[in-house]
Amino acid sequence: MILNYFKIALRNLWKDRTFTFLNVIGLSTAFCAAFLLGMFAIFGLSFDQFHENIGSIYEVYTNSQTAKGTEISNANPIPFAEALKEEVPGVKKITRVANGGPLVTFGEKTLKLDVLWADRDFFDIFSFPVVGGSKINPLQNKSSIAITRTTAQKIFGEMNAVGQTVTMRRDNEDVPFVVSAVIEDIPEASSFQFDAILNFTDLPASFYAANKDRWDAHNHPVYLQLDAETSAAKFEKATAAFSNLHFADDIATAKRDGAKPNSDGEYRQIHLLPFEDISFTDFNSNSSKVNKTLPYLILGIAFLILFIASVNFINMGIAKGSQRLREIGMRKTLGASKGQLFLQFWGESIFVFSLSVFFGGLLALLLLDKFQTLFETKASFALIASPGIVLGLLLSLLLITLIAGGYPALLMSKLDTLLALKGKLQHTGKNKVRDVLMAVQFCIAILLISGTLVLWSQLDFMRTKDLGFNKEQVITLPLNTKKDRAQLLQLLRNALEGKPGIISVTAADNILGLGKDGRSSTIVMGFDYKGREVKTNLLNVDYDYPKTLDIELIQGRAFNKQYASDSLSIVINEAMAKEFGEKDPLSVRFLLNDSIQYSVIGVVKDYNFQGLNKTIEPISYFMNPSSPKYYAFIKVAPNNLSQSYDRVKEVWNTLEPDTEFLGSFLDENIDRTLKEERKMTTMISAGSILAIILSCIGLFAISLLVVNQKRKEIGIRKVVGASTSTITVLLSKQFLKLVVFAFLIATPLSWYLTTQWLQNYAYHINLSVWIFLAAGGIAFVIALATISVRTIQAALQNPVDSLKTE
Amino acid sequence: MLLELNHIFKWVSQGGSRVFLLKDINLLVEEGEFISIMGPSGSGKSTLLNVIGMLDGFQEGEYNFLDQSVHSLKEKKRSQLYKEYIGFVFQAYHLIDELTVYENIETPLLYKNVKASERKALVADMLDRFNIVGKKDLFPSQLSGGQQQLVGIARALIAKPKLILADEPTGNLNSKQSEEIMELFKELNQEGVTIIQATHSELNAAYGSRTIHLLDGGRDNI
Repeated sequence: MILNYFKIALRNLWKDRTFTFLNVIGLSTAFCAAFLLGMFAIFGLSFDQFHENIGSIYEVYTNSQTAKGTEISNANPIPFAEALKEEVPGVKKITRVANGGPLVTFGEKTLKLDVLWADRDFFDIFSFPVVGGSKINPLQNKSSIAITRTTAQKIFGEMNAVGQTVTMRRDNEDVPFVVSAVIEDIPEASSFQFDAILNFTDLPASFYAANKDRWDAHNHPVYLQLDAETSAAKFEKATAAFSNLHFADDIATAKRDGAKPNSDGEYRQIHLLPFEDISFTDFNSNSSKVNKTLPYLILGIAFLILFIASVNFINMGIAKGSQRLREIGMRKTLGASKGQLFLQFWGESIFVFSLSVFFGGLLALLLLDKFQTLFETKASFALIASPGIVLGLLLSLLLITLIAGGYPALLMSKLDTLLALKGKLQHTGKNKVRDVLMAVQFCIAILLISGTLVLWSQLDFMRTKDLGFNKEQVITLPLNTKKDRAQLLQLLRNALEGKPGIISVTAADNILGLGKDGRSSTIVMGFDYKGREVKTNLLNVDYDYPKTLDIELIQGRAFNKQYASDSLSIVINEAMAKEFGEKDPLSVRFLLNDSIQYSVIGVVKDYNFQGLNKTIEPISYFMNPSSPKYYAFIKVAPNNLSQSYDRVKEVWNTLEPDTEFLGSFLDENIDRTLKEERKMTTMISAGSILAIILSCIGLFAISLLVVNQKRKEIGIRKVVGASTSTITVLLSKQFLKLVVFAFLIATPLSWYLTTQWLQNYAYHINLSVWIFLAAGGIAFVIALATISVRTIQAALQNPVDSLKTE
Repeated sequence: MLLELNHIFKWVSQGGSRVFLLKDINLLVEEGEFISIMGPSGSGKSTLLNVIGMLDGFQEGEYNFLDQSVHSLKEKKRSQLYKEYIGFVFQAYHLIDELTVYENIETPLLYKNVKASERKALVADMLDRFNIVGKKDLFPSQLSGGQQQLVGIARALIAKPKLILADEPTGNLNSKQSEEIMELFKELNQEGVTIIQATHSELNAAYGSRTIHLLDGGRDNI
C-alpha cells in the first residue's frame, strides 16, 4: 500500500513537473531563508543563556531624578559593590567589572588583549569553566591573570601557560602578572567577550586607587547574584535606605535644582536588570528598556516567508486537486476510505516538504559563510543545536506539513464520490479561501517592501546627513602605544606636518563614530553654575580641533598656543551655551572642584558628536596638556584621499612598528555606528525580495491553473467576438483586485509600524505617501508581469484549439 | 435473492417542485441474472445503477442487498458491503492514469488489505485470463479503448464480486470492440456473476436475460 502510494506520488509529481518544480523551489528557498534567519534570531535570543545561574544574575543600574527628568546609569562608584552586599540583605555574590584593551608583552611578543577586571565572585556568578591551573578561583590573588585557551595558544604556543609571567603596561610602567589559570574560550553567545581577566584591584591607579573611597566617581558596572529566596523587586525596595545614605550629596543637589521625586518619593532608585536581557539593553541611550525587536522581527520575517511558501503549496494543492477528481472518485468506488485517501495525499505533501526541507537545509549550509559575513554574525547551526531547539524545529516542520499539506488533503478526501467521478467540483467556498490567502500573501509582501523603502531612506538620510563636521577628509587614528602618548602625538605631528596632502593634525580623548578599535565612550560632568547643576559632555582636545574637523566657530576663538592661560579656558557648543543661559556666553566664568576658575572663550556650532538617535547634547572642550589623548585626527586634502591615508599609515609604521595601524576616515566610522540599522535593512530587503518572489510564484501557478480551467470560456468568448485585450483584462482583473485589496490593508499597518520605528531617532525622515504608493506600485507591476505571461498567451490562442478539447 | 428494490423514489428540488430522477422503482434481482437497463438519455439509467451500487442515496423506499437493508446502513458499513460484493465498469473506463495496467487491477485488493503474495497471484491470473500479460506495465494512455475497458473489467472482477454494474460499458467503443466486451460479459455471467448493465443499444441489451425499460425515472414495462 505504502509502495503504491509512493509510486503514484512520484508519478503524479513527475506528471506535473512545472508545479512540483515551482513548489519545491519556493519551499526550498523559504526553508533556506527561514533556517538562516531563524538561526540568526535564535542566536541573538540565546545570548548569555549558558550561565548556570541565569535567572538569579542581575546587573545593577540606578534611576536618578534630576531637574531634567530621570537619568538611567549602570556606572557605579568603586566602594558601591562591597557596601551593597554588606548593607542590603539578599546578595549572594557580587562583582565589579571593568574592561579595557591594554598591551600585554611576553618575551618578544606584544599583543593588544581585550581584558576584564573583576572581583573574585565573578567565576562563581558566571559560568566560564577553568581548564588549567587554579581551578578554585583564578582571581584569588592580586597580580594574577587568567587567559582563554586561544589567547594562551597565541602567546605561549604549545608551552604550558600556567605559571608563566607576562608584563602589562600600567600607569607608565611594566607590571608583571602570573598566569593563574587557563579558561575555556568564551562562547560566541556571550555578552562578555575577553581574552584575559584580572583582579579588579589591578586596574590602573587613575581608575581604581584614586577613586577607592569616593562615592561620586561612577565608572564601572556591577553584577550580582541574589539569594534563592530574594526576589528582584523585594531587593530593589530594600535598597532605599542604602541609596539615601551613600548618595546623600547627589540627592541634596538634585533637590536643590528642583528635581521631582519618583512615585515612591525617592530621588535615587537602584534597579536590577536580569542578566539574560543585558544584550538587548543600551544604557548609553539613557534607557533600561529591553529591546528584542531585531531578533523577533527577524523571526517574524522567517515565519512570514514560510507562511507565503506554505500558502503557495496549499493553493496549488487545492487547485491541482481539481485535476485529480477522477482518481479520487475511482479510488472511493474501489473502496478507499476517507482516512486512506487523506493519508495518500498527505503523504505526497510530506514527500514534497521533506524534499524541500532537505534542499533548503543544504542551500542554507552552502550560504552560511556568506550569510555570516553579510550580517556580521557568528551564528551557526552548531551553536544553536540544543535538543530543545532541534525538537522545536522538527515539531514546527511537522506542524507546517500537517497544516499546509493536510488542508488540501482533507478537502480532497472529503469530496463526494459521484461528483468527483463526474469531475465536478463545487466552486463556491474554496476560491474564497484561496483569494484570502493570496491577499494575505501580498499584504505581507507590500508590508515588507514599504518597510524596506523606509529603512533605506532613513539609513541613507543618516549616512548623508550633514553632521556639522567634515567626515570625508578626516582620518582618525587610535594612539595605541607603549610609549608616552603625548610624545607619540608630537612625533606624529612633526612627521606629518608639511607633507603634501596633510592639512592639519589634532587629537582628543574621544572619537567620533566608531573606529576600527571598536571603542567609544561618553564622559559627562556636572558642576554648579549660579546655584544650579549644569551637565555637559567632556572632551579633552589638542590645538586645532575645530579647525581640523571643520566645526564652525560662531563666537570667540579656539585654543591658541599663544595664550598660556588656555588650559583654564573652554570652548563650548551652542547647546552648552543655552545650558549656561547667558546672553553673552563668552562672559561665563565658573569654578570646578571648588577652586579652579574656568572661562568660556569660544562657541562652536552644534554638531552631531553622538548618534542620530540623540538630540545634540551640550559639550565642552578642555585643553589640559597633561590629560591623555587617545585619538589623533588628521585632515587631508580632498584629492587623493587614499594616497594621503597610505602616507599616514607609513608614518605610523615607522613610529610604532609593533602596533597595528587602525586609522580610518570619519565617514567609515559613522557607517560603523549604523551597523544595526544596516543589518536590519539588509535583512528586511532580502525578506521582502523573497516574499515578493514567492508570492509571484504562487500567483503564477494559480494563473496557470485558472487559465487552464477557463480555456473553454476563453474560446467561446473569442468566437463571439471578444478581443485579445478584453480577455487579458478579464483574466488579470481578479488577481489584480487582490493586490489592490492587499495594498489597502497593508499600508496603514506599515505606516503605523514604520512611524513607531522612526520614533527611535531624534533625526529622521518624514514619511511620505510616495513611499507606500511605490511599495504598492512595485507589488502591482510585478504581479501584473507575472500573470501576463500566461493570460496573454491564453488570450492569443486560436479558439478552435481550446474548444476542441471539450 | 441478490437484491431487492421496493418503491424507490429519488428526486431533486428545483424551484420548489420535485423533479423525479427515480419514481417508484421495484426490482428483484436473483443471483446469476444478466439484466439490461434501457432507456433514452436522462431516463435515470445511471442513477439507478448508482443507487444499486450504493454510490448514491435515495429519498424513499427500501433497498435490501443479500438480506441487509442498505437504506438503514451506516456509510462505513455500506462501503464495506460494496467493496466486498460489487464491481463497477464505466463507459469512460475511469482507469487511474498514473498507474500501470497491473497496478490498476491491483488497487481494489489494496483497499481490501489482501496480502502481497496473494495479490500477485490474483492479478497474474486475471492478466492471464484476459490475455493482457504483455501489457501489464503499460499505462492506460498507451492502450486502445477496448483494451482499456478490458482492464476496467479485470479490475472490477479482481475482488471476486457477486455483482457487476456496467454503465454503458461499450459507449466509447467501436462495434467490434463492443462485441468482444459483450461476449466477455456473457461468459462471466455463465460463470455465475450477476451483471446489470445500462445501455442504449438493443443489440447489447439482447445479451441479457432480462431487459428493463426506463422512461423518465419510472419503469416503462417489464
